[in-house]
Order: sequence, then C-alpha cells, then structure tokens
Amino acid sequence: MTVEEIINIVLLTMLALTAVGIARLRNLFAVTMLSGIYSLLSASIFVVLDAVDVAFTEAAVGAGITTVLLLGTLMLTDREARDGSRANRAGAMIVVVALGGALFYATLDPMMPRFGDPRTPAQTHVAPQYLKDTVPQGSSKEPVKVGIPNVVTTVLASYRGYDTLGETVVIFTAGIAVLLLLGQRRRRRRDTPGQNPSGNKDADRAAGAED
Amino acid sequence: MEIVNHILFYASWALLAAGGLLCVIGAFGLVRFPETYTRMHAAGVIDTGGALLILAGLMLQSGLTLETVKLALIMFFLLFTSPTAGYALARGTWSAGHRPITHTRSDARTDGHSDSAGMTDDG
Amino acid sequence: MFWAAMIGILVALALALVRAIAGPTVYDRILAVNSFGTLTVLALSVIGFLMGRPDFLDIALVYALINFIGTIAVLKFLRYGDFARATQADDNDLV
Repeated sequence: MTVEEIINIVLLTMLALTAVGIARLRNLFAVTMLSGIYSLLSASIFVVLDAVDVAFTEAAVGAGITTVLLLGTLMLTDREARDGSRANRAGAMIVVVALGGALFYATLDPMMPRFGDPRTPAQTHVAPQYLKDTVPQGSSKEPVKVGIPNVVTTVLASYRGYDTLGETVVIFTAGIAVLLLLGQRRRRRRDTPGQNPSGNKDADRAAGAED
Repeated sequence: MEIVNHILFYASWALLAAGGLLCVIGAFGLVRFPETYTRMHAAGVIDTGGALLILAGLMLQSGLTLETVKLALIMFFLLFTSPTAGYALARGTWSAGHRPITHTRSDARTDGHSDSAGMTDDG
Repeated sequence: MFWAAMIGILVALALALVRAIAGPTVYDRILAVNSFGTLTVLALSVIGFLMGRPDFLDIALVYALINFIGTIAVLKFLRYGDFARATQADDNDLV
C-alpha cells in the first residue's frame, strides 16, 4: 500500500464514524459540531487526493460558513431532534441501504476504471487539449492559448466561464434567500413589544440594522 | 557541512517524534480526564507542545525556503489563537454554570459529574 | 520519518473524535472540535512533506485561521444566542 492509501483509509474510517455519530445523536448542537469535523476530515481527504482547490473551498465553506449557518438555523428551531415515526425511519433505512448497495455494486463493475487510471475518458477526452492549451509543451516555444498558469483555474474561468457564471448566480441567490430567512427572526423580535423594554434602544437597533 | 546535515536530520526526527507523542498524550487526556476544565488542560498539550514541536521539526526539514516562512506563520497564528480560544472556552464553560472538580480522585468517582448534570445531553 | 508524526496525529485525531461524539457537555464538544482543527492543521502540514509537495501549507494556514474564528463564533452563539450582539452587558457575570 502506498502512503496515500493508508492515510486515506484511516481518514475515511473516521469519516464514516463521524457520519454514524451525526445520524445517531439527537442534540442538534452536537450534530453541528460533528458536521464541522466531517468537513475538516473530507478536506484532508481532498488534500491527499491532490485536489487542493476543492480542499480550500471545503475549508472555507464546510468548516466556516456552514457551521455559522447551521447555528443561525438552530436559533430559529429546537435544539433537540425529535424521532420520526417508526414507519418513516424504516423507509429511510431501506432507501439508504438500497442506494448504498447500488453504489457499492457499481464499483464492482469490471468496466469501471481503476482509481487514478490514466486511460479513463476523463483523462483522454478533453483534458489533454486543456493541458496543451495551458501548459507550455516541452521544447516548443509556442505561446499558450489562455495564459493562466493554473490549469484548474483555466478550466473554471475560461473554458467553462459561463458555467461558472451560472454557479455564481445560483450561490448568490441561495445566499440572499438564507439571509432573508435568518433575518426574519431579528425583525420579528424587534416588533414584539415585550422583548425590548425601551423604545430608545429599539430605534438604535433599527438604525444599526440599516447599514 | 556533512555533519551539520546529519545533526539537523536527527534533530528534526526527534522533534517530529516528540511532537507526535505529545499529540497522542494530549488526545489521550482529552478522552480520559473527568471534566471539561481538565480536558482543556490536555488539549493545551496538543495546542502548544505537539503543534510547536512538529512545526519546528518540519522547519528543520525545509531549511531556508518559503515553506519555513509559512510554517513560522502557522506557528505564530497558533501561538496567538490557541490561548485566546482556550480562554474563551473556559469563560464560556464557567458562565454556563460548570465548576471545576476540586476534590480528590476517590471522591470524583462518586459525584464528579453532579455539577454538570444540567448541561448533559444524550451523548 | 514523517511517519512518526503522522501516526501520532492520526491516533490523536481518532481520540479527539471519540471525545466529540461522547460529549457530554457542549463545551467538551467545542474543545474536541478545536483540538481536531489544530490536529488537522498539523496533519495537512505533515502530509504535504510526506507526499513531497509542501505547497499544501497554504491550506494549513487557512485552517489555522478558520478554526479559531469558528470556535469563537460558536462560543459567542452559545453565550448570546446571536452573532451580532454588543458585548457591554457581560462585565459583571464572572463573579
């Protein structure tokens, strides 16, 4: 076994344990904490898999923003999860087991390429063209087409520029929706008279909320 | 020069091994100690001893390069953030009503967790 | 030889995970997550050297910062139930 494989196995085992913990715990605050650990672990796995940019995103989004958003949601809801009905849980269990079994079965297919195989469609189809257009090839002093040193950035910002634009619009919309939903609570609290005894403070807070 | 390289190699090896050992010791304390304050003490072993020794060992490995600067920055941040986070955590624990265990070990077995009963969940 | 440190860190990660799942109080979990974050920073640094690509250190650097901000944000939430409250009223409750 190579170095990466051993580290991957250990990290994936811990990932599975964390997932079981998230599924078993009923305290939603603890679940939030464990989901932070989950994203730390998956980001480490991305680093071992050499996907440094994905790991960066996972670090910022998974461990940072998602934790804050989940905590903001906890303010609006209960801190304890209630168990669903027995039939609901059984149905969910069947779906999960069937899906997991199907995914596991798919990996057993002999037509599936091996992990890191250079002859997969992903490696032979467009990737060589992207590399040729981006990285200066050997001795030829031909100018590269795109002029961005990082290949991943080239793909994201140039070849799939419109795709990235669409993704950004989606994330922007989702962000606005989340802010509106979480902002509801503060606005409602300001409107209820019992919570804010002095009208003066109320006005201050309203002024603060404007900027 | 040869001998200096040898010395650096063994020094970095020793630092890395000691750092790894301190990480395990700290994490072991994190699991074994009876309540939050003592566990915080164990976590401090990871944050200071473990982190600093491992980062120093890696610094000796990379020599005078950009990597050493990055490692020094990580060390610098950790030296500032871990005590601050530890203080904030201890303060939060205290103001939530938890009090440290102040009696001996034989007593702690019988009523060590009584003061944290209000905050426990179904773990 | 980075293995000595790597094994230590992996074992410590597993133990911190045990504490994060076991609890029992929320502060134990926050402490475990904080230690987990520090250990992840160390693990990423060592993995970078282990695989001969020390440029991974940038991620470790980002983590060292995010981990701290996350811990403080969580503690602030627990104390005030809000991220945006002013902190004038909390001077007298440490007595």
